[in-house]
Amino acid sequence: MTDHDSDEQHGFHRHGDNAFVAEFSESEREVLINLVEQIIELLGERTDNHVDDPLAAMVGITTHDSPPEDEVLLRLLPNAYADQVDAAEFRRYTESTLRGKKYAHSTSMRVTLKSSVDGIIELDHDGANDWLGAMNDIRLALGVRLKVEQTSHEELELLAPDDPMRGVYAVYSWLGWLQESLIVALMDEAI
Amino acid sequence: MVKVDEKIEEAIKEIFSGDKPWVTIVWDDPVNLMTYVTYVLMELFGYSREKAHELMMKVHTEGKAVVSTGSREEMEHDVARLHEYGLWATLQRGDQAI
Repeated sequence: MTDHDSDEQHGFHRHGDNAFVAEFSESEREVLINLVEQIIELLGERTDNHVDDPLAAMVGITTHDSPPEDEVLLRLLPNAYADQVDAAEFRRYTESTLRGKKYAHSTSMRVTLKSSVDGIIELDHDGANDWLGAMNDIRLALGVRLKVEQTSHEELELLAPDDPMRGVYAVYSWLGWLQESLIVALMDEAI
Repeated sequence: MVKVDEKIEEAIKEIFSGDKPWVTIVWDDPVNLMTYVTYVLMELFGYSREKAHELMMKVHTEGKAVVSTGSREEMEHDVARLHEYGLWATLQRGDQAI
């Protein structure tokens, strides 16, 4: 886990009892839309293949019982059991539902970004939870690509200016800060 | 005399102990923010900020923590909700070594 300082900029802040507001520049809004659409696309790549069995489709049983090969998808849809047999069984019955929930978080974030006027985003508690889940999925995805598991923050801070990962790390850090500002606003009950 | 070996003893134990408690474990993850883990535990389980913070610190310092206990079905439900919010969680029998 990481700790994040959220003092320098604005990010999200609370307005009254149940509104969380942030203002984004046009370029920030575009970056967020681009990232969330990539998550939506990635989740869509792992489609179910149960055309032969409408009943299975209806109750959410998928044909997937093996974990995704893509590292990012595996982090988004992890195994629930250390035991491979139990993990496969659980995945078969639940993965489609999990994907649907993640898809809903990302879609909710995308809709608010797309419909925002002058870059202002206003979320209620549920909307904020959608954003937190969606932003976290983006950070998990970027984290896999940045190999944060094996790389220290110091090493990531010292990436060469022409290293494309430097830009990715900047976005990753900014998202962490933005996520933190929303959590602080949500936990701040003293109004 | 009936000879009771370990396997039978285990089976009998299970019959009488009913649905043995299972546990949900959250594992440390370099991406998830400390405040986020605390918030998710408060939000999903209704834990107080103090309890959620304590569990988060246990995950952070010890690499893992049991965050809920119950039947297998309940723990499967908890793990699915934690996965929905991107926490790295697994379930197992409570009497298994973590």
